[in-house]
Amino acid sequence: MAHEITADFEKVYDGGPTIRAAFHMPADRPHVTVLFGPSGSGKTTILRCLAGLDRPQAGRISFAGALWFDADEGIMMPPQQRGIGYLFQDYALFPHLTVTQNIGYALASLSAEARATRVNEMITLLKLEGLGERRPSQLAGGQQQRVALARVLAPHPQLLLLDEPLSALDVPTREELRGELRGLLRSQPSPVMCVTHDSLEALTLADEVAVVAGGRIVQVGPPEEVFSRPVDAQVAAIVGVETVVAAKAGERTDGLVALEVGSARLWAIDSAERATNFFVSIRAEDVTVTTGALPSSSARNHLAGRITEVRPAGPVSRVVLECGFTLIALVTRQAAQDLGLRPGALVTATVKASTIHLIPR
Amino acid sequence: MSWEPIILTLRLAGLTAAILVVVGVPIAYWLTYSRWRWKFLVEAVVALPLVLPPTVLGFYVLVAVSPRSPLGQMYQTLTGHSLAFTFEGLLFASVLYSLPFAVQPFTSAFGAVDPKLVEASWTLGVSRLKTFLRVTLPLSAAGVVTGVVLSFAHTLGEFGVVLMVGGNIPGVTRTVSIDIYDEVQALNYPAAAQTALVLLLFSFVILSVVYALNRRVWAVWPMR
Repeated sequence: MAHEITADFEKVYDGGPTIRAAFHMPADRPHVTVLFGPSGSGKTTILRCLAGLDRPQAGRISFAGALWFDADEGIMMPPQQRGIGYLFQDYALFPHLTVTQNIGYALASLSAEARATRVNEMITLLKLEGLGERRPSQLAGGQQQRVALARVLAPHPQLLLLDEPLSALDVPTREELRGELRGLLRSQPSPVMCVTHDSLEALTLADEVAVVAGGRIVQVGPPEEVFSRPVDAQVAAIVGVETVVAAKAGERTDGLVALEVGSARLWAIDSAERATNFFVSIRAEDVTVTTGALPSSSARNHLAGRITEVRPAGPVSRVVLECGFTLIALVTRQAAQDLGLRPGALVTATVKASTIHLIPR
Repeated sequence: MSWEPIILTLRLAGLTAAILVVVGVPIAYWLTYSRWRWKFLVEAVVALPLVLPPTVLGFYVLVAVSPRSPLGQMYQTLTGHSLAFTFEGLLFASVLYSLPFAVQPFTSAFGAVDPKLVEASWTLGVSRLKTFLRVTLPLSAAGVVTGVVLSFAHTLGEFGVVLMVGGNIPGVTRTVSIDIYDEVQALNYPAAAQTALVLLLFSFVILSVVYALNRRVWAVWPMR
């Protein structure tokens, strides 16, 4: 495929794990693939092999028709020639250079004038005005991250590789930058592969999620599918047991927002961003299941639904309901027996507005 | 007291330090980044002058530069005169003798540069050589200065090697330490004391300046 990145390779560490990756993603548009998985699962190795920083023992990597790596033919294109932008987890800014020099570092072949123009574009894009003469050590974490992004984007890379882009930041800065990063990645022309172990980051940024476990890609799909319908227990354990569905904001009152989710309507606490499109995430343990008449309750959301599946897991049962969208609830096995929860039963699911998590898209 | 040996010694030390930058930086670069399994052999060879008695090193250099050795013959065909008992021969010996004092701080400094920075430069499309010149070398500046000063100071004080290789030709190979030795042999203590004091003060000033600029002067072989 001409406009695809195709990779199928294997990297073996001496006396360590074997990392196997096989995937393809579009190479000609800003498509964000998130490699999601626990630490030590091999995500960063996959990224480093794509960058040409690590050499796999077997396999092939090609980018839009160009062969980057082929073990059988002994081809290994050096990182310099791959036209990538690699954002390191701790940014790897050059400590002896100013912000301006860091951003212009890859632009040595341009004239001084063209370089200054491009650096200024980047400074404006990433809101770094007034910091040009500072050194990295004189910047806050969030500012360092912006400089690193500016440096990576300045030479117009044809593929962006981001290694845990937000994990080195303190929580408030991370919250602030997460949405901004999504906007930035959408506004630039290259495809992106991003590594993270943070589900919120994955849900915010991803067009497609690839779950990595034990050195292998175990599930690939749209984020809501991967998070709501894990293929097996291993993936379920990694993504956490929760419902993730796409939602559209409707009416807004009193700091609450009404969400159209499937054919159902949910009230949730509005996000600061007041976005229109969301992923809604509901933890299974926050869903209460009732049968019969409803008691008065402080909870805002009562959803009538039908049980499609009850699966015991230790002391609890995982109950899947169809209530306009697929909702997962976690109840004790005792409660499931007392209430007679079984497939086909009609129940009401109750969810507090404050437990519904909104992820702006 | 004669200034001639002092000026000669400064010239020798300065040239030795300059040559060691040119020769030592590539060796240190290779030692830092090579994954060759027999690398330790090269490390041992570079460090040899630290443990060998100067007379042993001087003896081998003397043999090597004699007109009958291949090296001495090559030099003679190229320049028309012999390498033994000349300033150039002495310079060659000094470079070998001070090699570890330059290469060790260089290697230690290069090794202390975060490999992520080097990789970051590569992924930004910058070649290995330019990455070295734009990232590794500037970030190792303190270590390079340390190596230059140490090899300079070490050459100032060399005695055994000079005695073996250079002999004692005024203005050509008669360095400060030989001069002092001669004055003492001639029981001319006041002249020896003067020259010794000049060397002592000079060395003290250099080392003070370096310590003031950089706390990690006696960087030993990096633990890797």
